[in-house]
Amino acid sequence: MSDKKGRPRRSDRPSAAVAAELKQKRDAFLHTFFRRGAELTDELVHENKKLRDTIAKLEEDNASLKTQLASDRAIRDALRKIDDLEREKARLLSSMHQQEEITGKMTNRFAEIESELESFANLYVASFQLHISLGLRSVVRHIKELLVQLVGAKSLAVYFVDEPRRRLEPIASDGVDLATVPAVPLQDGAPGDTVAAAIERAYLTGVPHVAEGDVAAQPAACIPLHIDERAVGVIAVYALLEQKQRFVTVDRELFKLLGAHAAGAIVGAFHYTRTDGKLPTPEELRAITG
Amino acid sequence: MASTYSCLVVEDSPMMRQLLVLALSRVRNLKVTEADDGVDGLRKLAGGKFDIIITDINMPIMDGLKLVKRVRSDPTHKDVPIVIITTEGSNEDRSRALQLGANAYITKPIQAPQVIAKVKELLKIEA
Repeated sequence: MSDKKGRPRRSDRPSAAVAAELKQKRDAFLHTFFRRGAELTDELVHENKKLRDTIAKLEEDNASLKTQLASDRAIRDALRKIDDLEREKARLLSSMHQQEEITGKMTNRFAEIESELESFANLYVASFQLHISLGLRSVVRHIKELLVQLVGAKSLAVYFVDEPRRRLEPIASDGVDLATVPAVPLQDGAPGDTVAAAIERAYLTGVPHVAEGDVAAQPAACIPLHIDERAVGVIAVYALLEQKQRFVTVDRELFKLLGAHAAGAIVGAFHYTRTDGKLPTPEELRAITG
Repeated sequence: MASTYSCLVVEDSPMMRQLLVLALSRVRNLKVTEADDGVDGLRKLAGGKFDIIITDINMPIMDGLKLVKRVRSDPTHKDVPIVIITTEGSNEDRSRALQLGANAYITKPIQAPQVIAKVKELLKIEA
């Protein structure tokens, strides 16, 4: 009897042969089993290594992402800070511009106050000096000095009206010889000479002539002199000092002062001088004022 | 405590003197003494110590330029700053005054801020 492969059946074979066959089969199985086990172990070790690598990689990625995130946050913070700073800068610039504007206004105001202060000082000194004396010589000297020292007149003449002879007569001068200063006739028609015409016009109209801008032609100024509303003379400023190019605001104020006060001071000083400083009695004063 | 300065103004015109004194009254701690002309100026200098002198040129008795020469040759006052104030505006006049030893030259009509600034500059007073 034999099996399908033609080998004799186990029961037919001797037991030693069967045992050997079984042993061989067992060995083969064990060999295969251990080999497979070893292979599986290798695979597991390999797989484990791969997983470790993956974990390491993931941890690395994680760290990188964390860093990235931190970096992004820092950038966001920095951007926010920049925005804040930009806003602060805009606020400061706006504040600075406002301050500059205020400073500019203050500077202008300061200059205006300086100019006004100077005007007041000049006017105070001029009126103080104009009325400090009732001596005719002193009054006329003060008027000339005021024009030379405060206004910067180089040459000038003071005219007084001669009503019966219908003309303006020079009574004082500076920077020009009085003997050479011609009288100005008050004519119906305009005189030919421009200086005389300007003097006559100032007297007849009561409107001062004061050169605007740089003084280029004579006369630089003609100031009508009044006592109350009555025109009684003219101050003619022919030319200005070399360093004085033009009239300024304070000069015009001084001209107004002279126009209103100079003639009164001259006439008052004349009467006071002529009477040798004789004072009116209270009765005489009351007779007029009362 | 702030320093006190003394200034001598030598000017024959009472009007200009008054104007200068008024302008200089705006400089803090500046005491101003007035003199009518060069001789009066020398008299005032002999009687006191001054930190600055402001003088006119055209004056009777002794003019400003003679005063400058006298001051510069006087060991007591030779270093005192001198400001010339005058109606003469030409460059020759300016050069002459500066050659004689003046420190600054201001032409009339004066402007108070200009005088104040010059005095402060020469006395080294901060604006």
